[in-house]
Parts: sequence; C-alpha cells; structure tokens
Amino acid sequence: MHKLAEGFSVSATVLFVGSIMVAGVLLHPDVAQAKTGEEIFQSGCNACHTIGGGRLVGPDLLGVSERRTEEWLVKFVQHSQAMVEAGDPVAVGLFEEHNKVTMPDQALTKAEVLAVMEYAKTPHVIGAAQPDEPVALTEEDIVLGQDLFEGSVRLSNGGPACNSCHDVTNDAVIGGGILAKELTSVFSRLGGPGVRAILGSPPFPVMQEAYKDEPLTELEVKALVGFLEQADSEQSLHQPRDYGIGLFTSGVVGSGILLAFYSLLWRRRKRSSVNQSIYDRQVKST
Amino acid sequence: MDVRSQISMVFHLDKCIGCHTCSVACKNIWTDRKGAEYMWWNNVETKPGTGYPGKWEDQEIYKGGWKKDGDKIYLKGAGRPKSLTNIFHNPHLPKIDDYYEPFTYKYLDLIESPAGDDQPTARPISMITGEPMDIKMGPNWDDDLSGSPDYARNDPNLTKLSPAEQEAMFQLERMAFFYLPRICNHCLNPACVAACPSQAIYKRGEDGVVLINQNVCRAWRMCVTACPYKKTYYNWNTGKSEKCILCYPRIESGHAPACMHSCVGRIRYLGVLLYDADQIESVASSDEESLVDQQMNMILDPFDPEVIAAAKANGVADSTIDAAQYSPTYKFVKTWGLALPLHPEFRTLPMLFYVPPLLPVMASVRDVSNEAQQEKLNPIAKQWPDNWLYDTSTEEIFGTIDQARFPLEYMANLFSAGDTSKVKERIMKLMAVRIYRRHKTVGDISEEKSNEALSTAGLTPELADAIYYLTSLPKFDDRFVIPAAHREQAIEMMEFTGDVKGNTGFGFKDKSAERGS
Repeated sequence: MHKLAEGFSVSATVLFVGSIMVAGVLLHPDVAQAKTGEEIFQSGCNACHTIGGGRLVGPDLLGVSERRTEEWLVKFVQHSQAMVEAGDPVAVGLFEEHNKVTMPDQALTKAEVLAVMEYAKTPHVIGAAQPDEPVALTEEDIVLGQDLFEGSVRLSNGGPACNSCHDVTNDAVIGGGILAKELTSVFSRLGGPGVRAILGSPPFPVMQEAYKDEPLTELEVKALVGFLEQADSEQSLHQPRDYGIGLFTSGVVGSGILLAFYSLLWRRRKRSSVNQSIYDRQVKST
Repeated sequence: MDVRSQISMVFHLDKCIGCHTCSVACKNIWTDRKGAEYMWWNNVETKPGTGYPGKWEDQEIYKGGWKKDGDKIYLKGAGRPKSLTNIFHNPHLPKIDDYYEPFTYKYLDLIESPAGDDQPTARPISMITGEPMDIKMGPNWDDDLSGSPDYARNDPNLTKLSPAEQEAMFQLERMAFFYLPRICNHCLNPACVAACPSQAIYKRGEDGVVLINQNVCRAWRMCVTACPYKKTYYNWNTGKSEKCILCYPRIESGHAPACMHSCVGRIRYLGVLLYDADQIESVASSDEESLVDQQMNMILDPFDPEVIAAAKANGVADSTIDAAQYSPTYKFVKTWGLALPLHPEFRTLPMLFYVPPLLPVMASVRDVSNEAQQEKLNPIAKQWPDNWLYDTSTEEIFGTIDQARFPLEYMANLFSAGDTSKVKERIMKLMAVRIYRRHKTVGDISEEKSNEALSTAGLTPELADAIYYLTSLPKFDDRFVIPAAHREQAIEMMEFTGDVKGNTGFGFKDKSAERGS
C-alpha cells in the first residue's frame, strides 16, 4: 500500500512538472513571434556595426551576405572567438584588422542572423548616425564620469556602477572588478564612437542583461566617455602604488596586535570549565 | 504606594528528601526537547556543594547579579557598555562543561543484542555528538557528597568561613548535608530583565512571573550572564534563551506548578504576596546589612485596609487580594518570620523563600537517673526503661544551635547575606515549635519548659500550632493558594469585547440549525 502511494505521488509529480514545461514552451513569447532583422540590429549590433555608414568598431555590414557564405556568417556571429582560435583565415584576418577587439558571441538563432543579413542588403544609415567629431567636455564631466565609474555617484536609472565588473588604471579609482575587460586603453582600441555606442546599447550578453531595464542617460554616457578618454591619454601618469608584500605583512602584524590587545583586555576570562580539575582526574574508558 | 501582586514560593528545607521528583516532573513537561537537553529549570543541589552549573554562586566567575556602587546598583556583568565590549565573546558565560554534557543510554542494546556470554549493557551516549561517551558530570553529580574535596570543599559559601570552621564542618563524625531545590526566583528586581538588550524579558503585571518572549529574544545571552542564580538557559536549537515559566498555563487554570504538585516531601508552598513596587529601587540598593529586613518590609499586610484600597485602585482583583490574605507564603515569610531569600546579596529581591533546615538536630547521649523518666509528665508520655537519654535540647534549650553541625555562618552566607542573627532567629523558632510538639506528643518536656522555649523565640502556643499545622498537616489547598487568572481582564486589555456582543452565545434561531453554521 505504501509503495503504491509512493509510486502514485512520483508519477503525479512528473506529470505536473512536465505539463508546466510544455506550457512554458508553448507560451514563450520568442517562439510565438520572431523579431525582425531591424529590431535585432537595433538592439545590439548597431553598437559596433553600421549598414552603409562605414566602419565603427567592427566592419560595415552592407551587403555582407554577398561577401561571406551564409554558413560562415551564422557560425561567426555565434562563436567568433572559437573560429579565431581554430585558425579560420578570414576570421583571423578580421580580428587582426580590427585592433584585436573580440566580437562577443551573440545569442541569436540561425533564422535571426539571416534576418539581420537580409536587412543589411540595403543601406540604413540611422544605425551609423554617430558623429565622429569630438564632443565638448568640461572638467566637471570628467569628474562626474570618474564618480559614476566608481559608483560614488549613482547612475540615475539605477544600473550597477562600472567598477563592479571593470577596472581602470587610475590613481582616483581603487579596486575595480575583474569580471570584465580592463578599460585603461579602451579609448584607443575602440575609439570614441565605439565606446559611446557600446555604452548606449551594450552588445555583450552580461552587460546587456545588467543594463536592460536601467540604461545609461545621454549625460552619463558623455561623462563616462570623457573619463575613459582622459584615463587612456594620461595612463602613463597614473601609477597606483603597489604595496606588494607590505600589505600582507601589515595585515598579519595588525591582527597580531589586535589579538594581543584582546587577550590583555580579557586576561581574566574563564579559560576552562569550573569542573576541569575534576574532569582531568577522572578515569576515561579509552 | 504602588501595590502589586506577586506569586511567591516557600521551600521548607527541613522537609526536602532530595528525591529529584520535582526536577523530573519539570524536565518531562518543559525541557525534554532538542536544544534543551542540558537544561534543568528545576534542580536539587546538595549543600555544601558546588551545584549546577558548577560554582554558580561565585560571581567572580560568572559576574551575575547587581553590585552596589555608591548609592546606586549596577549589573555586575551586563548592561550597555559591558555588553558592547563583549559583543563577540562574552567571557563570563557558563560553558556546556560548566553545566554538564547531556547524555542518554542506548537502551535498545539491552533487548536487541544477540545472545552471548555476557549480559548486554546500555552504553551512555552523548546527546551532543550522538557518540558513546564517558559521563563526566550531571546536573546532580554532587548528590549527597558532603565533605568530598571536589564538591563540598569547593562550595563558594565556605570562603567566608575560617579554615578552622571549614575543617570542623568536614570532620567525619560531624559531616552533614541538606538539599537545596532551586527554580527561578521570579525576582522583584530581576537582573535578567535589566540585562536583555532586546527587551525580550518581562515581568508579568498580574502575578510577577518573569518570562522570555521567544519572538523577541535575539540570542544575546546577556540574561544567562546576568542571572546570579543561573536560571536562564540558552537553547542552541531555537537560538533563544529559556527559563522557568512557573508553569503559568497550569497556574492560570488553577493547578499548582508541576514541580510543586509532584513534590514528595510536600516542601513547596505557593501563594500571593502584595508588595510596594515604589520601593524596589531603594530596597535593592540598600546596605547589605539591611537588605533582608527591607525586602521583608516591602511585602505589605493584605489585611491592612489602606493596602487593600491601594491594591484595588491599582487593578488588583478582589480574588487576588483574598488569595493574598490566605497565602501560605505570607504566613511563612511575614507572619511567622520563618523563611529567608536565597542569597539576598545578589540584590535581585528573589520571591522564592527558604525555611532554613534545622536538621540535623544535635543531640547527646547522657546517663540520667531513671526516676525522672518514671514520673509521667503527660498521660501519653512514653516510659523509657533504660538509663540513658538521647538529649536533643532539654537541658539548655537552644544550646545546640550555636554548635550545630553547620556553622551558622554557612547558613547566613546562603540565606541572609552573612547576618547570623537572622538565621539564628528562624532556627530558634523552628526549634521552639519542635520542643513544643515534643511536650505535646512525647511528653518528656514540661509545659513550663516548652512555654519558655516558645516565648524566648517570640511565639505563642497558638502560633506554634499554626506553624505545626502548615508544616506537617497541610492539605493541597493550604499549600497552594492560587488566585483566579482573570483571563477576561487580560482579553479586555487587548480588544473591545463589545464588538462581539450579540454575535455569539444564545440568541434567536432564524433558520433551522445546522452544524457549523
């Protein structure tokens, strides 16, 4: 009887979980309605690419489907770095040509990549409307950018501060994250428009997710770009001090001093049980 | 005058036989749980002895209770600055080894072991690790071990005695002990309440029972340090501290607390005392010599019309005042002046009082002329055919008190902050009642001598009869005078009962009655 009940409850659970999964697949919005090529391009690709607007961080995608095969394109969009490592000559060539900036792997299906390629057959210059001329920056903007980077000023839409994941070699910034790329020379690698575009609509999956509902404002993008530009150009002047073994040693010595202080403070503490002398004399079985 | 009611207790130590039935009753009801294995809200100690937890009376170790500094009193080991500096490690907390490592036995081995040459045994199992263990200590490990170097000689109450007096106590032929049952004292000036940083401990307004709110307790354990009697315990499983609740669910329904109900020697009395709460601070911070007297003075006469009026004005129920007038504890503590608080020098104003033990009565065996024995002093007097007398007190009525096997100083350290005269006064009264009863029943003491004993102790034959009755013959309702709980008043404080008037109870039936409607 007990076994029977157990079997019943297991199969009921399987049925329940299974039906939830089926319902989830059936109701998933991405399956229900596919995005158009334009939507996909606007939501990620346009940070680095244009269609007919010339080179940005990555190459101009106008008519790319005529230059490369369909199969190659899908593979490159999904796993570019794997192809570079595998030694695909075209992929390696592109990587070298574009300052060794890795194209992040995009979570796009084959159909979606093809939709973007279809969209890229005719020029759409809106995606490349990034002005190349330098924006007028004030000293306040750079300070604001530094504060935003460090998180001492909160991003107005509530997104996480840059140094949660990124680091930059700068005297003013201490201890950035190591999850994502070190950004000291990002300006010379990607150029102003590239950085601006990435901050505006991040192409990297983790960054995309982090700022999905909390995008940066125009002013914040401007300030951060200004700060990164300054950090890049002045990087030789900034050499944050390296404490080396001294930091570790002072930690050890400091805790030693603290321990000594506390043992002095608690020198009259009860060190053992009041019954210890009795326990010590007791005969033990082992 | 701020008159409040307090449920108080009297333990008559002369009647305690040290059977631990109280402890077992309490354990079975309240602390037979995970996390409470080592707790004994009620325990019975042998005195002289170190008790449970070991040396709990030594406040140089545990820093419990209050200490007087100038005109004010301060917590000895708790309070804001001390709690803050000891926030990560409180060095005065008792460790599990100061209590004992709780254990059980592997009883199943007794019936499930395969047949063999040897009788199976139940090995002791630690209730902490679950592994077989050597039992090192228990909650009553010093039971009956008077004079032992480990326990009796380490009794903290001996420190004020001279080495010669201590040696005299432990001479083989003079060795003696008595039992000291302990529960929470439900003090008037509780150190645990004062020490709690979360304000989780409170003293119930209606009857003065001290309770820990389990929803508010944040496991600071300052109460464990602060209670000089070590009667709050930390439950490692729930992460809360616990203590004796004086079986308030039983009291509220008119039953005696489990330890008192089950007491074999019927040593426990429970009743209401009325006291003046305005005096708490001044009494608790009075000089050590006057502590006991002051504490007795703040207990008010429940027959005094002024006290009754003030009590009623303060919301004390009529039934509670009635209970206070019939209270056995009021008789023992105030009317007869027989009981004393345990360690009043901790300044918590405990509301559990002890009648100090008279036993063992000192006696001498003397040769006497039989002729005196042959003259019957009383119609029921027994005749002794031999020529010796087991003499307890006849020659020099109270001569034996000063040479008692327990030096008076020892008893005074326990019950009167070192004042021997207070203990002596109470022991004299007990002795006088004994002499009076011996005159009555055995008949070998003349009425004249018995009356002399009574008047020396400040008693009359009527009082002696009353003491004798409540000590030896009391019925259940004489020992426990429990006032009605008046739950209705408590409910009225929380909600407006008019809201449900007309909605419950009897009424007119509109439609046919259905179960549950």
